[in-house]
Amino acid sequence: MPVAPPSLPDDPADALAAVGALRRLADRVEDAAVARAAAEGWSWAQIAEALGVTRQAVHKKHARALAGADDGTGGH
Amino acid sequence: MAFERFTGDARAIVRAASQEEARTQGTGTVQAEHLLLALSVHPALQHLGLDHDRIEQALTQEEERSLASVGIASGDFDGPSASARPHRTRLATSAKLALERALLAARRRQARRIEVSHLLIGVLSAGQGRVPRALEIAGIDLEQLRASL
Repeated sequence: MPVAPPSLPDDPADALAAVGALRRLADRVEDAAVARAAAEGWSWAQIAEALGVTRQAVHKKHARALAGADDGTGGH
Repeated sequence: MAFERFTGDARAIVRAASQEEARTQGTGTVQAEHLLLALSVHPALQHLGLDHDRIEQALTQEEERSLASVGIASGDFDGPSASARPHRTRLATSAKLALERALLAARRRQARRIEVSHLLIGVLSAGQGRVPRALEIAGIDLEQLRASL
């Protein structure tokens, strides 16, 4: 028997807090996914198209972090 | 934000929120809760009994509860390490609001500079968001805390 999907929390404060938590989770997933794609040789254009955003947007958001990851995770 | 009106200690709090608290949590975005965490370890505020680790745990619990309320189990996603985070950080709306409220608090008290205690008042003035939610989870009485400032 399928599990019933969760309904919106009754308290607006809880429902709005859930939105914030989901956005932070989405950001973490995006960081990891972009890092993985870049490590496997995807171009910014390919990553951007897969995310449905402009190349400039994805570059602005992730270029610095990925450059930092190269020299920050030695031995990884 | 006119940082020249902040005392050196108050500026150091904003810096610590960005360099230590936000980045440790793997984000380049400084939120009000990062200011709170930085404030909790400031020597001038130790008499308030704000426990950094307890607040951090409460924030984690707040996140888990919020995700659970829409059907996401905590620990579903093993995120990237903090070392892969950006070197530059920016102030999010919640942090900017806290700084604006700190400015108002300083003005109300006719203080010329924005001090660490004003920053805490600014952070604690939030009616909504992760700061009041986490403080409630941590069992910290917000009214009592505000009254002691």
